[in-house]
Amino acid sequence: MKYEDIIASCYSNGYGFIPEPDAYKICAEFAIPHPRFSFVRTKKEGLHAAEEIGYPVVIKIVSPEVIHKSEVGGVILDLRTPQELDEGFDRLLKNVREKAGGVPISGILVQQSMSAGVEVAVGGADNPQFGPVVMFGSGGILIEVFKDVSFRLAPLDQEEARRQLEETMAYEILKGVRGRPACDLEAVCQVIVNTGRLLTEIPQLAEIDFNPVQAFPDGCFVLDARIKLKN
Amino acid sequence: MQQPEVGHDQLDMLFNARGVAIIGASSVPGKPGNQIILFALEMDYQGAIYPVNPSATTISGLKCYKNIGEVPGLVDLVVVVLPAAACVDAAKEIVARKKEKGDVAGVVVVSAGFSEHGADGRQREQELREILVANGIRLVGPNCQGIMDTYSGVNTTFDVGRYPRGGLSFIAQSGAFSVSYLEWAHPLGLVGLNKYVSMGNMADVNAIELLRYLGKDERTRVIALYLEGIGNARELIEAATEVSKRKPIVAFKAGKTELGSQAAQTHTGSIAGSDAIYDGAFRQAGVIRAATVAEFYDTCRAFGKLPRPRGNRIYILTVVGGPGTICLDELSRAKQIRMAQIAETTKENLRATLAPTATVDRPRGYTDMTGAVNEELHQEVLKIVLSDPNVDGLIYLTTPPAFLDERKLAENLVAAYQSFPEEQRKPVLAVLGYGYAVAEGRKILEANGLPTLEYPDVAAKVMANLVTYSQYQARVSK
Repeated sequence: MKYEDIIASCYSNGYGFIPEPDAYKICAEFAIPHPRFSFVRTKKEGLHAAEEIGYPVVIKIVSPEVIHKSEVGGVILDLRTPQELDEGFDRLLKNVREKAGGVPISGILVQQSMSAGVEVAVGGADNPQFGPVVMFGSGGILIEVFKDVSFRLAPLDQEEARRQLEETMAYEILKGVRGRPACDLEAVCQVIVNTGRLLTEIPQLAEIDFNPVQAFPDGCFVLDARIKLKN
Repeated sequence: MQQPEVGHDQLDMLFNARGVAIIGASSVPGKPGNQIILFALEMDYQGAIYPVNPSATTISGLKCYKNIGEVPGLVDLVVVVLPAAACVDAAKEIVARKKEKGDVAGVVVVSAGFSEHGADGRQREQELREILVANGIRLVGPNCQGIMDTYSGVNTTFDVGRYPRGGLSFIAQSGAFSVSYLEWAHPLGLVGLNKYVSMGNMADVNAIELLRYLGKDERTRVIALYLEGIGNARELIEAATEVSKRKPIVAFKAGKTELGSQAAQTHTGSIAGSDAIYDGAFRQAGVIRAATVAEFYDTCRAFGKLPRPRGNRIYILTVVGGPGTICLDELSRAKQIRMAQIAETTKENLRATLAPTATVDRPRGYTDMTGAVNEELHQEVLKIVLSDPNVDGLIYLTTPPAFLDERKLAENLVAAYQSFPEEQRKPVLAVLGYGYAVAEGRKILEANGLPTLEYPDVAAKVMANLVTYSQYQARVSK
C-alpha cells in the first residue's frame, strides 16, 4: 500500500493516529529504517513471524485507542524463545484487558529486537506558526526531563541536520564516550532529513514521534513510531 | 519570496518624507503631541513640519493648521496623536486629503487603545487599517513611537531626540524596550543609529516587511530586532534567511509560550514550545539570537561599528587578572572560537615590549600585560597583536589605573586600531571595567569606531556572536 492509501484508510476508519505497522510502511517509503516486523492477529501467526524474523523479538499491542502502549503493559521486550513468546502473547493481552478495559485490539506487532545502541528521539510537527518543523533530542524519558532538544524548519539538508544534532547533549554521547565507538551520525541525520520530508510531502500529518530511535556505529533505526493525523 | 517593489518604495517614502504633519500636535509641554514636535525640530530635517490642531495658531514657533486638508505643502507622512476614538475619523480626513492632493504615503498612529485593548480596540484597528490601506496609505502602529531616520531627519517619536548616526537599524515590537536601549546608549555614543521603527501592533507595516526593507537599505549594517511574537513566523524566518546572507540580524525574542494542550499527545508536541522552535529556526536562518538583554545591547552595537572577523582565532589582551580570567572562561566555552596561536616573533616582540612581570601568551591566546604599561605602550602592544596574521579578533580588558590619563589611553587605543587600513582592520572589543566612571575615554573610543563594554563575560559572548555570523555568511555564500 502506498502512503496515500494508508492515510485514506485511517481517515475512513476514524483513526487519529496511524497504526504502528502502517507507520513503518510509510517510513520505508521515505527511507527511514526500522527493525524487521510483522503484524499478526493470532498467536500462531506470531510464532511463525518470530521464526522468520529471528529471536529475540519484541511484541506490542496495536489498537487505535492505545496511544501510550507502555502505560497499559502493551509492550513486552526481549522474548527469546517460542515458549517465551507464547507466554508473552497471553501476558500482553491480559495486561491490556486489565489496564485499558475493552479497547478494540487490531492485532499484535512482532518486531525484531535490537541490541543496545544510543537512544535518541526524532520528531516533528506541522506548527501553526512555523509550518513543518523537525526535532532531534535525547531519547527515552531523558527528552522530557532534560528538554534536550533542538529544532529546525523542514525541509532541511544533511548539513543542517548535522548542525541541529550538534546543538544537543545527545550529540556528545553519539560521538562516543569512554572508548565507545561513535555512532553513525550521517545515518541519524538521514532520519532527521527524511522526517522533514514526511512532514513537507504529506500535508495530513500533524505530529511525528519516533522515540526511541537507536543509533549504532553502522546505522540508525526507528524502534517506535507514532504519527498523528490532522483532524 | 521578495515583496513587490512597491512596498519597498512606500516604506522609502516614509523614511524620506518631504513633509510631516502631526495631527494632535500640542503646545502643552510634556504632552506626546508637543514632544514629537520638539524632537522633530531637533533633527537635521530638510522637509517641512506641519502641526495640526484646530485650537492653536502656532506650536513651538511653527504655524499650526486647523485640519490636515488645509496643510499647504507636500505631506508624505502623517503622525496621529489623538485619543483612540478619534483616530478613525482622522484617517478619513487623511484619505480625503490624499484624494485631493495625491500625497500622503504613510501614517504613524501613536495612540494606544487598539487591538491591545480588547474587542472594541480590535474593531477600531481593523477599521483604521482598512480605510488607510485601501487608499494606498501605509500604517505604522497603532500603539507605537513610529519611525526615525537619523540621515533624513524624519522623527515621529516622543522619547528619542537627535541621535548619533551609524549603521544600526532597530525594529522593535516594544517602544519601551527599544527606547531603553537607545537612551541607555546615548550619553556615551555607544550606538550609531540609522533607522528606528517602533512597530506597535503591526496592523499593516510589520517586522517581515521591515526586515526585507532594511536588508536592501545600504546604510544599514546590522538589524536589531526585538520580537514578542508574529502570526506568520515562517515568513519572518524566510525573510531573515534572505537578509542575513547580506547583513547580520541580531534578535531578542521575548514571550516564551508553549503550544496548546491539544498538541500534547506526543512528546514532540508537548515540548515543542514555539520558543524552542524560534531558537532553531533563527540559527538555521543565520539570525544571532541574544540570550540576555546585555548580550543583545552589546552585540548589536558591536556589529554596527566593527569589521567582521575573518576567522575564529581570538586573542585576549588584559591589564587585569580577574576580568581577563572571566573573559577567558566564557570564551573557551564557545565552541566556535579558538584561542589564537600567535607567532613566535609576536611573542618575542611582546616580551621585549612589556615589563618582566607580564605573562606573555600563557595560557595560549592570553597575555596579561599587568599594570606596568603606560598609554603609549598600549598602542604598541595592540599593534603587535593585531598585526599577527594568526589573530582574527581581539578582546582588550582594563580597569584604567588612576595614574593613566583615560583620554590619552583611549587615543592610543584608537591610534593602534586605525593604524591599519580599513579593509585590514580586525574587530576589537574594549572592556573598561569602570563603566560610566571612565565616560570621557569611552566617548573617544566609541566616536572612533571602537565599542566599549563593561562586562568581560558579555564581551566573550559578543565576540562569539561576531564569529558565528562570519561563519554563517561564509557557509551560505559558498
